[in-house]
Amino acid sequence: MVTHMRTSAPAVRAVDVRKSYGKGDTAVTALAGVTLDVPTGQLTAVMGPSGSGKSTLMHCLAGLDSIDSGQIEIAGTSVVGMKDKALTALRRDRVGFVFQQYNLLPTLTAQENITLPLDIAGTKPDADWMKVVVDAVGLSDRLQHRPSELSGGQQQRVACARALVTRPDVVFADEPTGNLDSRSGAEVLGFLQRSAREFGQTIVLVTHDPVAAAYADRVVFLADGLLVDEMSAPTAQSVLDRMKRFEAVA
Amino acid sequence: MLRATLRSLLARKLRLLLASFAVLLGVSFVSGAFVLTDSLGKVFDTLVSTVTSGTSVTVQGVASLGSNDAADREPVTQAVLDRVKAVDGVRDAVGNMSVQTQLVLPNGKVYGTGGPPTIGVTINPGSPQESLRLRSGKSPVGPDQVAVDAATGRDAHLALGDKVAILGKGIKHDATVVGFVGFASSDSFAGATLVAFDGPTSQVVLGTPDTWTNVTVAAASGVSDQQLRDRIIPVLPKGVEALTAKQSNAALSQQIRKAVSIFNLVLQVFAGIALFVGMFLIFNTFSMLIAQRTRELALMRALGASRGQVTRSVLLEALLVGLVSSVGGFLLGIGVAVGLKGLLGALGIDLPSGRTVIELRTFVVCLLVGVLVTCIAALIPARRASSVAPVQAMRESGPAEDRSLGRRAIAGGVLLLLGVLALVAGLGGSGIALVGLGAAVSFVGVTVLSPLFARPIVGLLGQPFAKLGVPGVLGRGNAMRSPRRTSATAAALMVGLALVAAISTLGASVKKSVVHTVAVSFGADFVLHTEQFQPFSPAVAKGLEGKPALAAVAAFRQGNARVGKAGKVSVQGVNPTALTQVLTLDAVQGDLATLSQGELAVSQTEASNLGIKVGEQVPVEWARTGTHPVTVGTVYADNQFAGGYLVSDATYDANVTNRQLVVIAVKAAPGVALSAARAAITSALAGFPNLTVQDEAQFVKSQGNQIDTLLNIVMILLALSVLIAMLGIVNTLALSVVERTRELGLLRAVGLQRRQLRQMIYAESVVIAVYGAVLGIAIGLAFGYALTLALHDQGVTEFAVPVVRLALVLLVAAVGGILAAALPARRAARLNVLEAVSAA
Repeated sequence: MVTHMRTSAPAVRAVDVRKSYGKGDTAVTALAGVTLDVPTGQLTAVMGPSGSGKSTLMHCLAGLDSIDSGQIEIAGTSVVGMKDKALTALRRDRVGFVFQQYNLLPTLTAQENITLPLDIAGTKPDADWMKVVVDAVGLSDRLQHRPSELSGGQQQRVACARALVTRPDVVFADEPTGNLDSRSGAEVLGFLQRSAREFGQTIVLVTHDPVAAAYADRVVFLADGLLVDEMSAPTAQSVLDRMKRFEAVA
Repeated sequence: MLRATLRSLLARKLRLLLASFAVLLGVSFVSGAFVLTDSLGKVFDTLVSTVTSGTSVTVQGVASLGSNDAADREPVTQAVLDRVKAVDGVRDAVGNMSVQTQLVLPNGKVYGTGGPPTIGVTINPGSPQESLRLRSGKSPVGPDQVAVDAATGRDAHLALGDKVAILGKGIKHDATVVGFVGFASSDSFAGATLVAFDGPTSQVVLGTPDTWTNVTVAAASGVSDQQLRDRIIPVLPKGVEALTAKQSNAALSQQIRKAVSIFNLVLQVFAGIALFVGMFLIFNTFSMLIAQRTRELALMRALGASRGQVTRSVLLEALLVGLVSSVGGFLLGIGVAVGLKGLLGALGIDLPSGRTVIELRTFVVCLLVGVLVTCIAALIPARRASSVAPVQAMRESGPAEDRSLGRRAIAGGVLLLLGVLALVAGLGGSGIALVGLGAAVSFVGVTVLSPLFARPIVGLLGQPFAKLGVPGVLGRGNAMRSPRRTSATAAALMVGLALVAAISTLGASVKKSVVHTVAVSFGADFVLHTEQFQPFSPAVAKGLEGKPALAAVAAFRQGNARVGKAGKVSVQGVNPTALTQVLTLDAVQGDLATLSQGELAVSQTEASNLGIKVGEQVPVEWARTGTHPVTVGTVYADNQFAGGYLVSDATYDANVTNRQLVVIAVKAAPGVALSAARAAITSALAGFPNLTVQDEAQFVKSQGNQIDTLLNIVMILLALSVLIAMLGIVNTLALSVVERTRELGLLRAVGLQRRQLRQMIYAESVVIAVYGAVLGIAIGLAFGYALTLALHDQGVTEFAVPVVRLALVLLVAAVGGILAAALPARRAARLNVLEAVSAA
């Protein structure tokens, strides 16, 4: 199923990651010792009810948030304690992002939005790869449009193309379909799935939606800041069943 | 609703801070100008009453020519003084001189050129009328002794026993400083330098031996000022008047008040410009805040607030901002007044210390102006706020941009047209107020139109930045994304810079005109004059005449006369033979030779104004000799150097008491090298260090320098407006950073470095500032051109574009843009990426 494998090492590795907010009695533990390997070339979904710490985990893995203790590596590079400048360069060159909303800059065209990380770095896009990505998201005829002229689904597909265009070590997608209708959502998820399978793109998908999680190669379940379970080759039904069990326990 | 307004105001107090600051600065200038001029008026009043404290009655020549000008009063003779002395009830009567002169320091330099005047006066020690008090030394006695005011003594490092010289009406007069004097409350007369002699010496040095500028009289005990005046009047000849101390003080005070109020008006004009610029800032701030609050306003509407309530809540917010800034500005103005006074002190205008006068009027005007300015500027945003539909509470939409471009084009076009019409009418002679109004309306018109063409122009101006990389592309894009906001921000800068450009253009045109005029109408090789064209002794001309190296010496006297229906005009007296050799003067009608026969020569413009022709008679009134019919002998083509009216030197001297000169034009004899001619002139000027000799090029250059000095003063006063406009850029950028938090977070998330983010905001700022400068320069050039057209009759015949100054304006705008972006850029770069991305 996996056609490309760039390295055998995990794309993202987290070891005993702990993170809490606040101090003293009011401290809230968001991550209580998470150890996780995200295998290269796979679509990994992080599932969990709200408050489970899944968004915090993603922010920490992506170097957007600091951690209290533990270790995080992206393709073998430790991101813990990195200075802002290096961290920014890392995000620019080696990480891709798809957020739930406000993914695009309104002043730039779709094409300019896609090549933004490359333009920031001052490198030229690989024309062949660009064409592959643009064709894959099905936007070749809308590249000169501005975000305000695109539908919500089209905007998210532009964001996906932007995340992929640098061939990052990992793409983090945080509830990318949260604001979309189910058909547009399915298009975006289908694209992410194909990216992993056809291009070997490592993707971490954070979601609370079992239907979305079913597109993943593997699902990890997070509850109260701990990794509680994982599942390979998930379906929407099996994920939903597993979630129901947690909620029953909780 | 009131509570909601207050809450919203408090929640946004930081965002309103800069807008309030703009109003505050403008109002502080209004307040400062009032406080300063009120205090000055008070100080002068006090000074006037100090100076005349021992005087009951002043006897002086009647001001002729329908003026109140000291220059139009004839001196009083010794005979009048003798007669007044004999009047019953006179305790003492003394003659006084008071004549503008120049002081030469021991090092040979003329003191205080370019600053306040030097006045030669009489000191009458022991007389009750004398207000000068010795600070040290003794009172001067005899021709070799002089006293100097203590302030000048300090400033010029004079010591008792120093040898100085006074340049009066005759040759240089040497004297020794024997005393330093002052008034009860001050060491100088409002900064003027005083040189005091005993009575007879003052007459010889400053005037003619038998006359006085005025006579001051002290009453014997038991005689009132009024009674004394009534007794003196019968002994006075025609043309001499007597005033009680109260009367003369009132007249003097009125004159001073008038001068002070003109000074006040000048400062208020610049305060007005600053406030006008501040209005753009208020307008923009309220517009942006309302755009950001669309959902909140829609929610209020959905909950049942009426349109009127929404409008009123915004206006109430503006009212409160206006109130706070006005009060702040009023208070700051007291400091501004002190600062301005300090500035005057630094320029050598030593104002006697008095108490700071704060009139109730100042407070009321500040409050009214500040509140009105703020509320008027907030009117359109308030209306816009009320048009937010309740349904917008439920929608996810950014600030809506322009709907009706057509309406904007029409409104802007009409405003611009009206403004230009008013401007043209005003420049055409309908008054300076109309010029100001026209300019203001034109500015508003351009601002309304500006969003229509902002996008392409801003895009073009941003092109160089876009070439520099992503931060440049993004900055340019941000400047282009909201043409209305960019326009309003740039407009504030446009106003100040347009005025700078207009004044610079006028200055360059005047300079070019001077060069042109000199080339066309000037035939002399050298010009002699004092700094600022203060009058000088006719002895200078006497020393030059008859020198073999010089072909012609034309000594120009300049005095006042009343000519027909033209009223009081300036008339020049000059030797007719020398005149034709130093000026290229074309007689359109008649013959300049008739000047020698006592006839009058009139310029073409003045002749047509008066409606007179050669051969006709016109009544001319001189201060000394009264009214005579004079025949117009010549009408000559307008010539800047000849002015409007010319008579022969003989005619002039026969009718005017003061024979001092303003300028001497010299033509070298044929075959004599200019250097030799200059050497001949210089040798004759040994006793007159106050005079400079300039050839044509030097003369043109010195004229240019004077224009530059004036321009620079105007620029300094306009700097306040430019500063406020820069605050506007800071304000817009700061609000934009808040508004675009999520976008900035996204950029940082996908890898934009902090440095690049700052560069992006710098680029946006510079593009907006340069756009404002480009608009300003375009309008300024148009205004400048209109001004040169309006001043054509005053000799501004040429039009010139001040390329260097305009380039400097662009540069200042660009640098200002960078400075304005510093804080917002810092703030944007400091945003926490995660918080920015997830900001709701």
